[in-house]
Amino acid sequence: MSMTYVTIDKNICTGCQECTKVCPVDAIEGNPREAQEINTDKCVMCGQCVQKCKSYVSIVSHGNDAYEKVRKERNLPETVKEPLFAAYNVTHINEVIEALEDKSKFTMVQSAPAVRMAIAEEFGFPLGSLADKKMAAALRKVGFDKVYDTDFSADLTIMEEGTELITRVTKGGVLPMFTSCCPAWVRFMELNYPEMTDHLSSCKSPQQMLGPIFKTYGAQESKIKPENVFSVSVMPCTCKEYECNREEMKSSGFKDVDVVLTTRELAYLIKYKGIDFANLKDEEYDSPLGDYTGAGVIFGVGGGVMEAALRTGYELITKKAIPDVNILSVRNYSGIKTSLIQVGDLTLKVGVVTGLKNVKEVMEDLKAGKLNDYHFIEVMTCPSGCVSGGGQPKLLEDTDTFEAIDHRRNSTYKHDENLPLRKSHDNPSIKKIYKDYFGEPNGEKSHHLLHTTYYNGKTKKK
Amino acid sequence: MNHFVKGNPDLCMGCRTCMIACVVSHEGSHIFEIDPDSYSFNPRLHMVKTATISVPVQCKHCEDPACKAVCPNDCISIIDNVVTINTTNCIGCKNCMNACPFGAIDMTEVKCEYQAKGEKKIVANKCDLCRENPDGPACVAVCPTEALKVVSEEDLINNVEKNRQNTAKELNEASLKAEKVCK
Amino acid sequence: MEELRLGKYVVGDTSKCTGCKACEVACFAEHNKKTNGVGKTVGTVTIPVTPKLYVTKGDGFCVPIQCKHCEDAPCLNACQKDAICRIDHKVIVDVEKCIGCKDCMMACPFGAISLLPLCKNGKVVAQVGCTDTQLSASKCDLCQGIDGGPACVRVCPNEALRLVEPEKERKEKNIKSAYSLSLTKSFGKEELK
Repeated sequence: MSMTYVTIDKNICTGCQECTKVCPVDAIEGNPREAQEINTDKCVMCGQCVQKCKSYVSIVSHGNDAYEKVRKERNLPETVKEPLFAAYNVTHINEVIEALEDKSKFTMVQSAPAVRMAIAEEFGFPLGSLADKKMAAALRKVGFDKVYDTDFSADLTIMEEGTELITRVTKGGVLPMFTSCCPAWVRFMELNYPEMTDHLSSCKSPQQMLGPIFKTYGAQESKIKPENVFSVSVMPCTCKEYECNREEMKSSGFKDVDVVLTTRELAYLIKYKGIDFANLKDEEYDSPLGDYTGAGVIFGVGGGVMEAALRTGYELITKKAIPDVNILSVRNYSGIKTSLIQVGDLTLKVGVVTGLKNVKEVMEDLKAGKLNDYHFIEVMTCPSGCVSGGGQPKLLEDTDTFEAIDHRRNSTYKHDENLPLRKSHDNPSIKKIYKDYFGEPNGEKSHHLLHTTYYNGKTKKK
Repeated sequence: MNHFVKGNPDLCMGCRTCMIACVVSHEGSHIFEIDPDSYSFNPRLHMVKTATISVPVQCKHCEDPACKAVCPNDCISIIDNVVTINTTNCIGCKNCMNACPFGAIDMTEVKCEYQAKGEKKIVANKCDLCRENPDGPACVAVCPTEALKVVSEEDLINNVEKNRQNTAKELNEASLKAEKVCK
Repeated sequence: MEELRLGKYVVGDTSKCTGCKACEVACFAEHNKKTNGVGKTVGTVTIPVTPKLYVTKGDGFCVPIQCKHCEDAPCLNACQKDAICRIDHKVIVDVEKCIGCKDCMMACPFGAISLLPLCKNGKVVAQVGCTDTQLSASKCDLCQGIDGGPACVRVCPNEALRLVEPEKERKEKNIKSAYSLSLTKSFGKEELK
């Protein structure tokens, strides 16, 4: 892998090794009190080290001029004044700034569900404040031509993945099926268990489903030439930039997602443009690719993809609405949870793995054939799902971690509860895109744009 | 080796006469006549009284004193086998107080002396074995039950040797008895 | 007998400290919430980080160095502008009075003071009449006026920092010492058995 995504500045690193305690794959190497290094053959770019690192560019340790020097080295805008730490993710914000200023480019942006639960924290709001409508307003003010939303493609992912699961269950496909929306988890599989990647859903992540849609269906809707579309996504994740750079993510004929910004980098962009976020008036996301249901919202928390999938899967199988939309038995703060869900005559055995540190025993059980009675397992790398992602606002004091995650999770479920539609298949814009464009879930067009393949130990390494 | 004063909990009845004697020894007996606020009542040994024990605790004049090691101004030194604090340059940082594992050091106010800005002068204070007193430690002399005594290097060496002698004798007797049985 | 009230202070344990600087970051954050708009996240910070304790590397160890709130504080006695005073047994710098003369920094035998940029309302303050940054004495104030007690102690991931209460600890040590004296009480008895 030639590009760098998450790295440690050896001039700033104090060798405290606190990062090694949070790395789920033991990718950080070095002696105590000496600069650490990330082993890119193991790293899954989850960015938990970035969240943890407190070794900052200090006047006392590094001198008065060090901050400016490091800020320039890292290509951060001059409006960035926040402390810079040894572990960081490489930014591409300048590409976004350039594209926004380029009149020939039609910029489309999508933002992940977890971003709106935390972006306001960067502007002094309480931890976990929901700011969906302010974020839409900010994205528009920053200059994006279309303010779409990953929550829409999360709904789309449910349609595709739900249908795929039902097919595997009823027609004898590879089970258990694992979710594939977390790119760090996919990379982990490809690095450590490539022979098991046929268990992964063939669905792309919501980010990578919406990317090609921007440059095909989306371009059509806006009457723009696909080559002039600049596709940006805002993610709580430091691995999504790696995901968008994967060779196969060009199904639109162009790079499906041009650049990924983290939640923190969106805050940099908003401040760079001198926008007063706190006083923005609420705005809506653009239709049709910004319309979403509560099922799309809950992707950002551990157990969310599972719950969203079950809300739709239940109805696809039984042709009846699920009695209770809230499936508490799969909501998972952290760790491993299993549940039996009655769907008509079928008893679905599902699992939710939140936090990649927990997945090793699951994979060993899978290899040993102990999970053959499971149907569907969600895996998220970050400790409590995307709300605790490597690109989320970073806490100054780790003693606030529980409160931050708890509030972001609560905001997620509250947002879901307050939305008029809470099941992906009820989303009228989803129905429309199938009617006008894809035809049916898992149809030919879906397979071309919305599904993918993985390294399985035999094909060329990604 | 340095000398030190040791208390015996079995003999001590907790009367605290030792503490008063300590203050008199350093301040003078006029303390009974003058205004109590005009001098600093700062005994250099501390009475411990719990439900189960009473005995005074004081500096053990360690061979490698922790207090001496941590003083930033080199105020603590060993003079005539006594660990001594020279309070002239003491800045009251409490390093020695914190370092002493026995709690033998306390901070005391030096009356009639002030810091540059007019604050009270507060310095480290501990047992000095009444080095200035020709009769030796006042606490030892005054204790009504003879619970306190000075332990000198000679005492230490002699007593350890005595313990060894007793132990060796017992071992020998035990081994002779064992031989008798085997024969 | 006069009951002296001595200043408490925070001290680090070299056997536990990993040198991560979480203490420095938290110290800075807690001291700048009211005056400089620092919130819970890194993104809310608009000024240089100015901690009041300093993680120091030795040969094979590291530990934060911070003020011991000396009873005869050399910094307090050295300051000609009376910018350092004792409040509630804590030695505190009043940055409004500090002119950055560096006497206190030199007087402190522990190196507990650094001169760091003065910041107000989310911006660095310039010196009078020029664009250079105003520097003022920065040292531990035991989180005076901040809820929750010393932030550094609270956030250390390895519990390497503790708040020392000198008199309380002395008394506890005295009691332990008394019990050990009961184990040496037969030392020096005359009889040879």
